[in-house]
This record gives sequence, C-alpha cells and structure tokens, in this order.
Amino acid sequence: MEQELQEPVERQLAEESWSGSSDGYQVKLEIFEGPLDLLLYLIRKKKIDIHDIPIAVITRDYLEYLEKKDRINLDREAEFLLIAALLIYIKSQMLLPREQEAAESDDPRQILVDRLLEYQKVKIACNFLREKEEDQLMRWRRTFLPPIARPEEAELLEVSLFDLAETFFLLMKKREKENLRIIKGKDVSVEEKMKEMIDYLEANGSMDFLEYFSAQETLEEALVSFFCLLELVKNHLVIAIQEQLFQTIRVWLRKARSHHQHGHSHE
Amino acid sequence: MNEQLKAILEALIFISQEPLTLEKIKEALGEVPEDELQECLKSLIEGYSAVHHGIQIIQSGGGYLFTTKPEHDQWVRKLLQIEKKSKLSSAALETLSIIAYHQPITQAEISAIRGVDSTYCIKTLLQKKLIKIVGRKKAPGNPLVYRTSEKFLQYFGLNSLEDLPKEEEIAKILDEEKQSVS
Repeated sequence: MEQELQEPVERQLAEESWSGSSDGYQVKLEIFEGPLDLLLYLIRKKKIDIHDIPIAVITRDYLEYLEKKDRINLDREAEFLLIAALLIYIKSQMLLPREQEAAESDDPRQILVDRLLEYQKVKIACNFLREKEEDQLMRWRRTFLPPIARPEEAELLEVSLFDLAETFFLLMKKREKENLRIIKGKDVSVEEKMKEMIDYLEANGSMDFLEYFSAQETLEEALVSFFCLLELVKNHLVIAIQEQLFQTIRVWLRKARSHHQHGHSHE
Repeated sequence: MNEQLKAILEALIFISQEPLTLEKIKEALGEVPEDELQECLKSLIEGYSAVHHGIQIIQSGGGYLFTTKPEHDQWVRKLLQIEKKSKLSSAALETLSIIAYHQPITQAEISAIRGVDSTYCIKTLLQKKLIKIVGRKKAPGNPLVYRTSEKFLQYFGLNSLEDLPKEEEIAKILDEEKQSVS
C-alpha cells in the first residue's frame, strides 16, 4: 500500500525536484492538473471500473495522497479537498440505511461518475489537440517571416498617454544604471521645468524628448520633465509624436496656442 | 485534368498569407465548374504529399495553405535560428478542449468540469486569441460566455470544429484504453 501511494506523489513532484528518490531512479512525468485528474489516476491504477467505484477504497487512497499535502501546491489544496469532501459525503450516503431498496439511478456515486466520465472525455480531447499542436508547431508558413522594413517615411502617430507611459518606463530603465548615491540639493518645480521646456521649444522648434530626458542632471529633474510633458500634452500646449513604440517622442508647440496661456498675459 | 487551372490554384494558394477559402478562390477565378475545381485541388494536394516535396498544402481554418512538412522542422529552425516553439500548458489545453466541446460556455461551467479554477487559463487563452468572448449569459451575475476563435482552428490545423473527434470516436478510444489496461 505504502509503496503504491508513493508513486502519485512522485509523479507530482518529479517536475520540480529530482531528489528524494530512494533508488536514485526517477521518471519525469506530468503533474496532476486537478483533483479529478488524481482520482482518475488512482482509479486506473487499481484497474477499477469507473461505473462501479469502491468508494471506501478510493476515498482512503485519495485521502492518503492528500496527507502528503505538504508536497502539493497549496493553491490547489482547496480544490483537492472539495473532491475529498464529495467522496466522504458519498461514502456516508452509502452507509446510511435506506427505507427501500434504492434504484440504480439513486446511486449516490452517480454524481461523481458523471463528472469523471466527462473529465475522461476532456482528457482524450486534450491528447488529440496536443498531437495536432505538435504537428502544427513543426510546420512553417511563409507568414511568420518578419515583415521587411518599409523604406517609405514612417507614418506619424499622435501618441496616447499609454505610449508616453511606456516610453517613460523605458527611460527609467536606462537611468536605473546610474549611480544614485550622489545627493544633490537642487529642487525643481514643475512650473519651472515646464517654462524651461517651452522656452526650449520656442528656441529650437522641436524637442527630442528622449535626449532631453537623458540630458537631465538628476533623476528627479528627469522625472519632473516627464510629468511636465504629460501636463503640457493634457493642456494641449504641445503635440507629442512618437514614430514607433519605444522610440523617441518628438515634441512641438501647438501653433494655435502659445505658451503665454500658461500663466502669462496673452500677447 | 485542367492543368492550367491547377497551376493557377497553386499560385493563388502560394501567395495567400491566410488560409485561402474556396469562396475567395471562386471570387478570383470567376466561373469554374465546381467538380473541376475540386478535382484540381485534390490532385494538387496529392502531388505535394510526395516525398520529394518539402512543402505541402494543408486544409486549416476553412482554407488551403502552404506549409513546410513537419519532418523538416529542424532544418528550418536552424536556418532561421529559432528555438522550438512553446506549447500550451496542460491546464490551458484542458480548458481549451472543454470550450471547444461545450461552447458557448462560462468560466464557472469550465471550472466545474475541470474541478479547478480556470480564470487564469481563460485569461491566457484570450491573450493568445485562441478563444473569444461572445456575450453574456442570461443567468445570475450575467457571466461572460466564451467560444473558440478562428485562430484556434488554424493553431491546431483544423479545418472546422467538425474535425474534432466525435463522441463515438472518443468512446471508442476509451474502450481501447480500457482493454489495454485490463
């Protein structure tokens, strides 16, 4: 008995650990997908007819397996226990004396049998799909080839806030490598930075934001400049264009509005 | 055999990036007798199944498509310097089989059959576009209802859901397994 029960646990464990085997021999097998998978395994192992399950035996096997639950993934424990509860419930039902001889359809095991039969079908379908998948994965189509880069000018897309955020994380990653132990005593306000950026735009026409971001002295300043860009975009003071995700963002002043709207008197 | 028609069909299938459907073929060809078309397609497919061809025409996702043969996988990958493509997890495959056979189906119904919570699997399958949401069920909580997608058929090289093993075929496999066990 003990020897027999050892096996399913090892089947579960084989994937993660290669140790703990007494004879030093282990076979890599799939883990159980769930309580029904385990139940089916136990039933097959015992060569039991699924329509006539000796509930007492199977319940014992199943529970003994669960006792080694320190070796089971805890996330799944509740689901395994649910089926254990069902098994015990069925067992109790079968022990209860009945008023009349129960008809076949009243078999308390029926609910479990139905589920197992259904699950068994799923397993067969799985095998079928797996075979198909393996075949297909070895077939190559012409379409997988990466599209040849188009030489024509890139289409300009106005970026969404999500694109901006995405680029932001990219920039942050780049700056992560910097040595941040130096403490600088300079405070930058959003207002100042915004004015600085607008001045820059007025002077230079447009801005390569990635370059601008990297050129900032401190991480704090760089962060503030990004918030400024978001703010400016939000207020329709600038246009931000990104040709492709993860590439630089080009920033222009919107012509219709000048920076004077930003807290200054109008022309 | 209309050799010219056969050659045209070959060109059309070759140039198609997605499986080429019969409707599309007819659209391109105009008036062609159905039986002649079928005869040419059949002969074309058979021709490519010969050993000296490295490519073949498969029927997938409701259309015809050129692919390399599975036995040449290792050379193709070597040329393109691509690792083996990753397979779906067993859990995802289980979830997918249930959806394929029971669609339209809700998350709760899938989880009930598997005996395992399937929320995460469904998310993965949606991301891979192998399943799609087709609406909500008129039941308490109005749960979302899922179906397999067109991509599902293509991914597994199935022409339609009809290609899945039928109840009787599954029963037969189970019988055989039972016999081999006992």
